[in-house]
Amino acid sequence: MKYEYNKEPELYTPIMMRVISKRDLTPDVRFFQLVPKEEFKHLDMDYKPGQFMMLSLFGTGEAPFSISSSPTRKGIFEFAIRETGKLTNKIFELKDGDMLGLRGPFGNGFPIERMLGKDIIIVAGGLGAAPLRSLLLYIMDNRELFGRLIYLYGAKNVDDMLYKPDFVEMLDSEQIELFLTVDKGNEGYEDSIEEGKVTHLFKYVNDIDPANTIACVCGPPGMYKFVVTEILKYNLEKDKILLNLERRMKCGCGKCGHCIIDYRYTCIDGPVFTYWDVIHMRELI
Amino acid sequence: MKKRPTIGIYGFTGCAGCQLALLDCEDELLDIFSALDIKVFYEAMSNNDDNALVDIALVEGSINTNKQTQELKEIREKAKVLVAFGSCSNHGCVQAMALGDGEWEQRFKQVYGDMKFTVAIPREAQPIHKFVKVDAYIPGCPPAKPQMLRALTQLMHGNQPTYTNSPVCLECMFRENECLLYNGKLCLGPLTIGGCTAPCPSHNIPCIGCWGIIDEANHISELKLLKEKGFKAEDIIRRFRIFGGSDIVEKIQKLLEVI
Amino acid sequence: MRALKLAKKDEKKLFSVLEKFGEVWSPMPKGKRFSYEKIEDPEDLVLHEECIRTILPVKKFLMPPDFNILSFTPQKFTINNEEIPFKIVVSVPACEIHAVNILTKFYTTDYVDNYYMKRREKLIIIGKSGLPDEHCFCHKTNTSIVEEGYDLFFFDLGDYYLVWVGSEIGDDIVRKGSDIFDENLPKDVSQKFVEFRKQKNKSYKNNPDMEGVTDLMELMYDAEFWDEFGDKCLSCGQCTMACPTCTCFNIIDDLELNKELGHRRRYWDSCQFKDYSLVAGQHNFRGSKAERLKLWYTHKLKAFIGHFGSPSCVGCGRCIITCPVDINVPTVVEKLKS
Repeated sequence: MKYEYNKEPELYTPIMMRVISKRDLTPDVRFFQLVPKEEFKHLDMDYKPGQFMMLSLFGTGEAPFSISSSPTRKGIFEFAIRETGKLTNKIFELKDGDMLGLRGPFGNGFPIERMLGKDIIIVAGGLGAAPLRSLLLYIMDNRELFGRLIYLYGAKNVDDMLYKPDFVEMLDSEQIELFLTVDKGNEGYEDSIEEGKVTHLFKYVNDIDPANTIACVCGPPGMYKFVVTEILKYNLEKDKILLNLERRMKCGCGKCGHCIIDYRYTCIDGPVFTYWDVIHMRELI
Repeated sequence: MKKRPTIGIYGFTGCAGCQLALLDCEDELLDIFSALDIKVFYEAMSNNDDNALVDIALVEGSINTNKQTQELKEIREKAKVLVAFGSCSNHGCVQAMALGDGEWEQRFKQVYGDMKFTVAIPREAQPIHKFVKVDAYIPGCPPAKPQMLRALTQLMHGNQPTYTNSPVCLECMFRENECLLYNGKLCLGPLTIGGCTAPCPSHNIPCIGCWGIIDEANHISELKLLKEKGFKAEDIIRRFRIFGGSDIVEKIQKLLEVI
Repeated sequence: MRALKLAKKDEKKLFSVLEKFGEVWSPMPKGKRFSYEKIEDPEDLVLHEECIRTILPVKKFLMPPDFNILSFTPQKFTINNEEIPFKIVVSVPACEIHAVNILTKFYTTDYVDNYYMKRREKLIIIGKSGLPDEHCFCHKTNTSIVEEGYDLFFFDLGDYYLVWVGSEIGDDIVRKGSDIFDENLPKDVSQKFVEFRKQKNKSYKNNPDMEGVTDLMELMYDAEFWDEFGDKCLSCGQCTMACPTCTCFNIIDDLELNKELGHRRRYWDSCQFKDYSLVAGQHNFRGSKAERLKLWYTHKLKAFIGHFGSPSCVGCGRCIITCPVDINVPTVVEKLKS
């Protein structure tokens, strides 16, 4: 039997990356900037906001992480990583100049073509701001291609808010209608950050044209239900609500099976699903 | 050269088979000795440094006397990472099969009579976690070579050893064996922690559960099945008792009454 | 398609022909069952008429249970580029060839898995149609006849085999064995073939009613019987290992002592294990056994159609003679229908 297929590159072979800088975003989330070891080769690797890559540390393992950087700023790959397990512990020990492997990009990403010219509502919860940062930067860098940009971000507390200085600075921008909230304790930021759940920020979201708006949501598993209920109040169609979901993955390319939900693979058909997908596929959220 | 991590390998009550299993890794022995700075290993060395502080302490055997308890606590103080090595230190193994049944003293008397003990006062066999904090577990009676070497390597690199969360059946199928349980044998494979590479079922010997019970083990279903296949309650209990200890026996007895 | 004849008295001579093309693997007895083993003796070549269901299906050649995908040192890594020898598997039933076709479709959709494809290209499949035993139900899954995916396919028509040639390599084999393969088919061959098929269709004893199962999977998703199955399931994962179309795997890194050399291992995983859907922060998307069983049966009977156009159960009956607690496709179908 003969099949036509491309023998290079290998699907499971990572590209080596070098850590060029890192900083702490919150007590347990660290921001990494990576560049390809052989820069000339992979510098212009393209990806879409919302896609993820398999990050691997030889000897410890591999796991999927959303890309935080935007394809409009090529060359540097950025990730916001929370320390939760064996692999992330080891990633946190990396110093500038250390190497790690990167595979991908995988997943569908946000459907940018569909979003052009539309008003965009972005709702982020906690670490959900990491993948949505890619989208945010993409829109900011192509601001004229999109309509209104509304961004709601809720975190547990002030310390747990990702990219806080950037966001606080952006509050004055005319490019974006940005609202921030924390569940509890906004000491020191009373002017800029509210107290309460992220759903509570929807009172600032007014004059929405449902035919011309797309909502993008990413956050902890428990958040989606409540946020979607709020968005539906604006009469948005179900396929105009996009959710960025998370699953266990070992391959990232639809082979290992771990991320399967009904007949969809999160790594192929996701991680960005429409709310219509969610209600007609069980177990999604 | 990078500083080698120091290790102490200590044995309490047991058959010392786990330590032998380590020595049995003949092809890798040189690697083990060059990778680790072995301070204590009575089973293999004459030059032991009992007072040495160690990065890793592998503790084999159950605790059967008050003196052992004391020694174990001293090891704990000297070790950065204390690892329960093998079934005896993990959950008591064979010598703890009647743990907590209240008849230990009677049994002891039957064997030793009114003998007076002065150096060490004997007591019922207990796993080591009853006395000290245990950082990692390597199960097995004895541990299997690949799993043991993997765990040692992970400990050397400062990682937790991977905890196997799949039953013996996984590797049993890798070796393409007929299912003994399906064929009506009293096999505990589905309830037992895997990683052993299924040597017993590969030789047509049913699994006796020597690595301990896996998370989510479905005792009720297995017991129902065994009863259907015609096994008597006491046979099932006896099989479970060998490595399960009294806790599991009590549980099984209760389950056998209801199903 | 070419069709030839192989006289039964020449059956054993086939080995010396096949040998020229690579390693010959044939079902060998293992306890009460069979397993594909490498054979050296022409006498071990099996082409009997009875259905032989090996413990592990042909997938063990295409995606080994446990192998290294790459090796690494702190400085660099090397991809596992080991040379795969040509393997000729003899006596593969039609349902299993269907399963291989499903695997190939699966591994070439969206992204191509080279580790699989490398092995698929080196696998020569000699199919064989036998009479069904009491567990076979491939007539209900439309997998009792196969049209592609094999190199040669044998039908037992009494004192000779009718041999279909299904690929270039198959053609090479019959050319190499021109002294035993006969191009002149007997006059009554078509009549005999029809009789054989009729007899085969009459011989099925296992008749699960598979009609509409796909829709019932959806309608009965919240039915109580799933919990009953969940209470019964031992989570041993044997069904997924034995199933010829199960593909899930896990990837982990293993280091070697001292040498700072490591290997990235890929080994079969099972969706019936607790850790299967566990994500960071200990959130488990499928914590209960019933949910995991539902996942498996949804995937086999329904979901695969959505992605690849056909269900992924081929009716080989392995789950029936593997599961110790009698959870298998026919028993699930029976519950779906009740």
